[in-house]
Amino acid sequence: MNPPDNQRTEQLDIDASTRWPVLLLFGSALSWLLVGGLLEIFASIQFNVPAFLSECAWFTHGRLSAAAESALVYGWGMNAGLAFALWLMARLSLSTLRSGGWIMVAAVFWNSALTLGLLGIFGGANTSFELLEMPRFVTLLLLGSYLLMAVWIITTFSIRNTENVFASQWYLLGAALWFPWMYFVARTMLFTAPVHGVVQPIVDAWYVNGLYGLWFTPLALAAAYYLIPKILGQPIYDYYIAPIAFWWFAITTAFAGGARLMGGPVPAWVSTIGSVANFLVLAAVIMIGVNLLGTLAGRVGAAQKSVTLRFILLSVAAFFVAALLNLLLAFRGFAQTAQFTFIPVVRDWTIFYACFSTAMFGAAYFLLPRVTGKAWRYSSLIRIHYGATALGTIGLVAGLGWAGWHQGQMLNDASVSFDAIVNTLAPWHAFHTGALILLAFGHLAFAINFVFIACPVNSRRTPAAVIQAPPAMEGAKA
Amino acid sequence: MRNGLAIFCGAFLVLALSWAGVLLTAHRQLTGLAQYKDPAEDTLFPEPLNGLADQGRAVYQDLGCASCHTQQVRREGLGGDIARKWGDRQSVARDYIREKTVLIGTTRFGPDLRNVGKRIPEADYFYKLLCAPEATVGGVALAHGMPSFRFLFDLHPAIAGQPSVDAVKLPGASAVPAGYELVPTLRAKALVAYLMDLKDTYEYPEAHPFSESAKGEGEHAK
Repeated sequence: MNPPDNQRTEQLDIDASTRWPVLLLFGSALSWLLVGGLLEIFASIQFNVPAFLSECAWFTHGRLSAAAESALVYGWGMNAGLAFALWLMARLSLSTLRSGGWIMVAAVFWNSALTLGLLGIFGGANTSFELLEMPRFVTLLLLGSYLLMAVWIITTFSIRNTENVFASQWYLLGAALWFPWMYFVARTMLFTAPVHGVVQPIVDAWYVNGLYGLWFTPLALAAAYYLIPKILGQPIYDYYIAPIAFWWFAITTAFAGGARLMGGPVPAWVSTIGSVANFLVLAAVIMIGVNLLGTLAGRVGAAQKSVTLRFILLSVAAFFVAALLNLLLAFRGFAQTAQFTFIPVVRDWTIFYACFSTAMFGAAYFLLPRVTGKAWRYSSLIRIHYGATALGTIGLVAGLGWAGWHQGQMLNDASVSFDAIVNTLAPWHAFHTGALILLAFGHLAFAINFVFIACPVNSRRTPAAVIQAPPAMEGAKA
Repeated sequence: MRNGLAIFCGAFLVLALSWAGVLLTAHRQLTGLAQYKDPAEDTLFPEPLNGLADQGRAVYQDLGCASCHTQQVRREGLGGDIARKWGDRQSVARDYIREKTVLIGTTRFGPDLRNVGKRIPEADYFYKLLCAPEATVGGVALAHGMPSFRFLFDLHPAIAGQPSVDAVKLPGASAVPAGYELVPTLRAKALVAYLMDLKDTYEYPEAHPFSESAKGEGEHAK
């Protein structure tokens, strides 16, 4: 083996400097993914068996689903996103990650605040505002510990040793800055100094749209912009349009929140601006598509060989599906049927799970062996994880999308009784539960592999993740 | 784009524009929205929630009812809300100024509740429905698919000859065992008071923005 050149040693140092913060954040993220996934499955079962866990106020459906959402978004989503962002920013800035200790302290605070918040929801302090369900007392704890972690994304960038700034870095910087501001604004305008009447749902819609569109999507795009060219060894197809796409995506997405309130008791301009923004964002989606798909063009076969890129392909596909669903929901004719059904649920799930979470899975398969210097223990578990994710994601989006359209048609037909709608949806709720269980199996497979790669106990060091060829058959020798 | 400060300022500006453009503008427009004074009756609408109903609003919030129920009626011609008799007119911003927290909801796995107090005017029916949603009256379930909220009720031994005034009488199979009675707690009473107060009946001038009669007039003139 050739001795690594200088840049390679530098990169090894950088990866090693992120090791403990990344492992702690990813470990917490995975724990929340398992816990939140279980809560989500329970909440889904309650649609089929309303009596399930209904004896106790703590697990009534409204609280259970709120807790599941918070655990997945703030537990899995934010922990994994921050781990990935810190690592990628250090790598792209050619600068080691300083102050890993602070990040780990902040991560402990973040996860403790989250635990308190979930207990608050179960115990009766659920605020019922979408994605802001956690009680008032966690606001400052969450905000403070987030800032203590995210500030290192910005400082690492400011001491970068590179001439060029890469596209992924804009998305990372944007996301790092946007979340605390949106969170602060939403918590202040809803709880500290509550706004009047229907301004509250407007604030909530603005925040939900912002969290999905300006935190989770940018992180997924940062992963795609970095990993596709990196693994294929190809430059981005047309780098000139990348900054235009970034700014256009940011400004249009920031205004798209009102579209969630179409037909609601709010001034018409609120939802109109949102709908127009969902149209305008298409220009950015096309530019991003040209860049990512242009880089992939003719190399999909090569991409399929990398488990990371398989996940990233899923994520990129989901990015387009989410944009399409946002566009469709901006049409009044579509929205009057699709609103309030499974379809907006699927849209949000597509962004959070199918786009963001799969990107984080892909990134994890790339970065964890480099950060720890170890190989993945079981390649069979990787295949199970990918298979479960791909099947569960495609099934869930297609199945619930179809069910949602049917649900909307029945809701708009006054001659169909509400009991009949509940009965028609019952098999689809069971389907939803089944898909969530399938995804949970994938998470479990990933978690087992993670334990092996993260624990110092099993320190079997190998240079790279290698999937072993099957042993030659005995008969062939003879 | 190589200048970190430019990226930082740009990202800041993007969100500042959206915050000022959407949230502050909406806040400025709606914060002065006050009760409407009916010129003939000389009364203010919407009437404020009474104390018990306002506590019920908090129960509605902490139990997460809004995760399956909306509280917004879309206008005639947009979906089937009016046809389903979820309201006589569309919901308008003024309807909500009496509520401290406004939970208009995003999914309808349960029916819309904005005018549920008008559809179901009896407290007793609400108690039965919260206690035993699957119990049937005349072959129809009270609230098919909804979880039971029995934890909002106290089961205690009945005193012979002195039944509680507000003991809930459940129909059929879900009936209370003999010698016991099921009594709503304060939280149940508050929640029901809130639900019964959910009725937007007053016709504000802005509640009918599209005049159907005007369309008819035009056709008539031909």
